[in-house]
Amino acid sequence: MVATAEPLEQAHPVETESPQEHLMLDPRPRGEMNGMVMDAMNTRTWKFWVLVIFLGLTVVSCLFIAWGYLIAEGLGVAGVNKPAFWAIFLVNTVYWIGISHAGTFVSALLRVMKAEFRRPFTRAAELLTTFGLIQAGISIFMHMGRTWLAYWLFPYPNVRTLWPNFHSPLGWDFLAINTYLMASTMYLFLPLIPDLAMVRDRSTGWRKVFYRILSLGFRGTEGEWRHLRTAMTIFAWAIIPVMFSVHTIVAWDFANATRPGWSSTVFGPYFVVGALQSGIAAVGMVVVLIRATMKNMKYFIRPEHLDALGKLMLIVSMTWGYFFFQDYMVQWYGGDKFTQMLLEFHEKGPMGWMWFGMLIFNVGIPFITLWNKKIRRNPALLFTIGLLINVGMWFERYIIIPTSLTINRMPFTWRLYVPRIEILLSLGTLAFFILIYLIASRLIPLVPVWEVQEGQVAHGLRKVGKATVKTVSDIE
Amino acid sequence: MSETKTFLALFADIDPAVNAIDRLREHGVNDDDMNVISGIPLTEHILGRPRVWSNVPRLALGGAVAGLAFGIFLAAGITNLYPLKIGRQGLVNGAPTVVLIFEMMMLGLMASTFIGVFLDSTFPSYRPKEYISEISDGKIAILFSIPEEKEAEVKEELDHLGAESITPAEKRQL
Repeated sequence: MVATAEPLEQAHPVETESPQEHLMLDPRPRGEMNGMVMDAMNTRTWKFWVLVIFLGLTVVSCLFIAWGYLIAEGLGVAGVNKPAFWAIFLVNTVYWIGISHAGTFVSALLRVMKAEFRRPFTRAAELLTTFGLIQAGISIFMHMGRTWLAYWLFPYPNVRTLWPNFHSPLGWDFLAINTYLMASTMYLFLPLIPDLAMVRDRSTGWRKVFYRILSLGFRGTEGEWRHLRTAMTIFAWAIIPVMFSVHTIVAWDFANATRPGWSSTVFGPYFVVGALQSGIAAVGMVVVLIRATMKNMKYFIRPEHLDALGKLMLIVSMTWGYFFFQDYMVQWYGGDKFTQMLLEFHEKGPMGWMWFGMLIFNVGIPFITLWNKKIRRNPALLFTIGLLINVGMWFERYIIIPTSLTINRMPFTWRLYVPRIEILLSLGTLAFFILIYLIASRLIPLVPVWEVQEGQVAHGLRKVGKATVKTVSDIE
Repeated sequence: MSETKTFLALFADIDPAVNAIDRLREHGVNDDDMNVISGIPLTEHILGRPRVWSNVPRLALGGAVAGLAFGIFLAAGITNLYPLKIGRQGLVNGAPTVVLIFEMMMLGLMASTFIGVFLDSTFPSYRPKEYISEISDGKIAILFSIPEEKEAEVKEELDHLGAESITPAEKRQL
């Protein structure tokens, strides 16, 4: 007698996903995708213009006029004073440099790792890098006060033959930030060329001229693609260590000083992780906003992308928590009198709410929410968590800079920093960032269509046993 | 001697385009007389075409070396040209020198890579070129030159292989 086996009852129902869930498995003709992206670029509702006007007015009043006033009157109109000469301007600088890490991480690191989910939002992330660095640069110029003397930072011999001191981390900062800004702008532009050519082919009038100039005469010949891809591979590998170096050097601005709370050997990686924390959260927010507000973007940005970003946010958040504790533990264990006082001041002082807020927003909320797949795939919730993380990371920089400067080894100088015109200028840089991003979203394709199509060509489904699984071919 | 004519054959998919390349070769068209224009990068392996030489990696290396030299100049050169003695610090110190050299080397590497793309691809170039806008809609174009007497035969074969159109290649303003 032949034994017949009854089918085993499944212990747990297997969650099946439709292939249509994945952008790479839901291809559409390239012409249609081009049309969708062009539509998104060309759609400008009255809400868009209201927002542009509002942001424009905010930039004029809070950035240009307020900065002009600061230049005319001097740094006395700001809250910086003994002992906190480094304050919100540098908080913003560090914050925006952190945001700028998003583009490199998402675009370069994930490209090197061949993480396919990156494809539709690499450009949105790269724009964060370039525009974030512009805000960081503006904030440094504000911090200088006498902005017109910025050229003193350039390596040229002045009348006293004194060159900038390259033994100072501030000099390294100048070089590193400029290197990163130039590199990330070039890295943004290279993969944009084929998309600019696509827009050129579909434009008329002044836009045709504009895109003809920007696309440089690109056609898509074998040679052009070969040179472009080679360059993008070199960039993807080379820009990663530069990204790490930038925030490490920013960390050295603090860690190389012998101040309580700053002198820490872990500051370099701690800052890099912090930068990734705010950067990836910012990418999450931008991706949700693009998906919600721009036409046809729901096709390109899907719950699978939010899910992947949510996982990244969770991993980086836990890593940040680890580095924070590592830094805290060593400072606390060291037993230095002033460091102990500073740590107590962080927690119980007038800015204690910010210290607890930082921990709750950066570790607590991501940890209790992002484990859940439904939450990760919910745009509104992911946006909110990303926003809270960014607020938490801004708090972290505020605690490290002006709050930590309040307590030093000379108690007679202790004074709590209270920002003044800096608040307006911070709003101005934020509005400027959103404004240029908004304008860019209507001038350049935010989705790299050729990269999406390339991914769709490489992806397919394959039967393995009874399962149909996603496969990706290495066509590079 | 017969005249050669240049054509642009348009294909919707990769496979027919690859077959067409093979068939053109059989008709004596050299790889040098063909060029594939596409909306996504198709590697030589996919197309069965000879590898395109790129100077970008060499230029990148050259830029890195130049950046390294400039970094050394900044860190060590100018401090010796304009010495500024501070306490017991050496004029040229190891760690700051490493930082400067690294940043300048990476800047040199990436700037020369970027410039390399422009040089190798002869960008920017705004002269009229053989191109049709369907290429950026995902079509694959083969630009090839053949002797006039083979025109009818080759056209028929490419038609048979699935070419959507075969037109004399015209230079037009992009």
